[in-house]
Amino acid sequence: MLATLRDWLAGYIGTFAATLLLGVAAIMGFLAFNTLFLIWLERKVSAHIQRRYGPMEVGFHGALQTVADMLKLLGKQLLTPVASDRFVYLLAPVLVFVPVLCIASLVPLAGAEGFADMPYGLLVIVALSGVTVIAIFAAGWSSNNKYAVLGGMRSVSQVIAYEIPVLLAALSVTLVAQTTDLRHIVEAQRAFVPFLLVQPVAALLYMIGITAETNRAPFDIPEAESELVGGFHTEYSGMRFALFFFAEYSNMLVLGALGATLFLGGWSGPWLPGPVWLLLKAYAVILVMMWMRWTFPRLRFDQLMSFAWKLLIPIALLNVLVTALVLWRIG
Amino acid sequence: MSLLRQVWVGAKSLLIGFGVTGRHMMKRPVTLLYPHVEPDATKWNGPIELVTFPETGTHDCIACNACTRICPSDCFTIEGKRPANSKKQRATLFKLDFSTCSLCGLCIDVCPTDTLKYSERYDEAMYTRPMTVNDLLAPFGEDPVFAAAAASPAPPAAPEGGA
Repeated sequence: MLATLRDWLAGYIGTFAATLLLGVAAIMGFLAFNTLFLIWLERKVSAHIQRRYGPMEVGFHGALQTVADMLKLLGKQLLTPVASDRFVYLLAPVLVFVPVLCIASLVPLAGAEGFADMPYGLLVIVALSGVTVIAIFAAGWSSNNKYAVLGGMRSVSQVIAYEIPVLLAALSVTLVAQTTDLRHIVEAQRAFVPFLLVQPVAALLYMIGITAETNRAPFDIPEAESELVGGFHTEYSGMRFALFFFAEYSNMLVLGALGATLFLGGWSGPWLPGPVWLLLKAYAVILVMMWMRWTFPRLRFDQLMSFAWKLLIPIALLNVLVTALVLWRIG
Repeated sequence: MSLLRQVWVGAKSLLIGFGVTGRHMMKRPVTLLYPHVEPDATKWNGPIELVTFPETGTHDCIACNACTRICPSDCFTIEGKRPANSKKQRATLFKLDFSTCSLCGLCIDVCPTDTLKYSERYDEAMYTRPMTVNDLLAPFGEDPVFAAAAASPAPPAAPEGGA
């Protein structure tokens, strides 16, 4: 069906543009659905951990609650602070979403059927995921609000600190798989065992790192409600605020899917088709992230920093070193 | 060494935390879905109401105004008159302004006929102040004692004002 649609579109705008347009539309559509689902799931998980029911009224077990919330946000007034840097202020919510969209198109769904094929996929993903922080800082800075600036600055230092363990965890996986192509990494796990069993330390580091990178509790210091109102998105309202939410939850899915690809064997699995397996594994990772959020208290900023620089990065370096030595010994 | 120990103790505490929240996630919620599920209010002290005695099928308020006098917030408005065939007075009007009532229960303690008690009502949200005034006689409808007195033509005609 998609191929027919693409051929029809290609008659007007050419094959390349048609493929691009349809791919972006499909990914955006799925990410939008995913965001609505994840917000609902988050509220349900938090409610049941606190022995409540959570949303129950709109739709089956409140399944349509987030749709109603989104409609409410669509109808809300878009406020722009008077003294804000208007161009950057309007650009930031879009910019925060673009890298997520790019990464989403690079995660292989199943074999050769993935949207974008790239031999250095892992490197590109790691590079792109660092762009989000610029958007967050732009949002904080352009709002001309002290809480927003503080949130933005915290976010920058945090994401820079936690990129490194994530990168090193991915590097040790790359060492084991001998490739940066995500497809081949999955194939290597299919032939061997999921890398979670080979690289448990790297998997743990990755889990901690992505939690920090998505600015989620216990690392949600950039938007620590009790200290910074809303952090970098304090001055954003209506659909612009919703875009930050959209980006955060899409980022969770994308990094969860990447984690599933690197450590849990990606799309490979019995009985079910590949994309289903990938999504199941990604949602399992996300569920653990939610479980973490409603279990652990927020870290203080200096604790956060010393945790990354004094503990995670040395362990990650050691892990890479040991991996390299072991691989060298067994040839 | 102390760093390693700290890391070990910290990691263990995190796992224990996971265990606690995970167990709670699996248990049943303790909250009630209120409008759909009625809570158990048998231990609840709601707004004051009149007792219905099973022997007579009605209340036994003699309009003595003991509750009016003891009430620290002056909630009550009570009027009564004596039925033709009775020696006791009987309430004809019994209103309680719930917006000033503090549910202290002094009226219940002081009532000589034990005809006041806490109700089990809990959904008392109102839109206007006049709506908070409860007519405690309203649930009883037409008073059977006065009806009986009107039906029978006053046999023991006590001398008016002589008693």
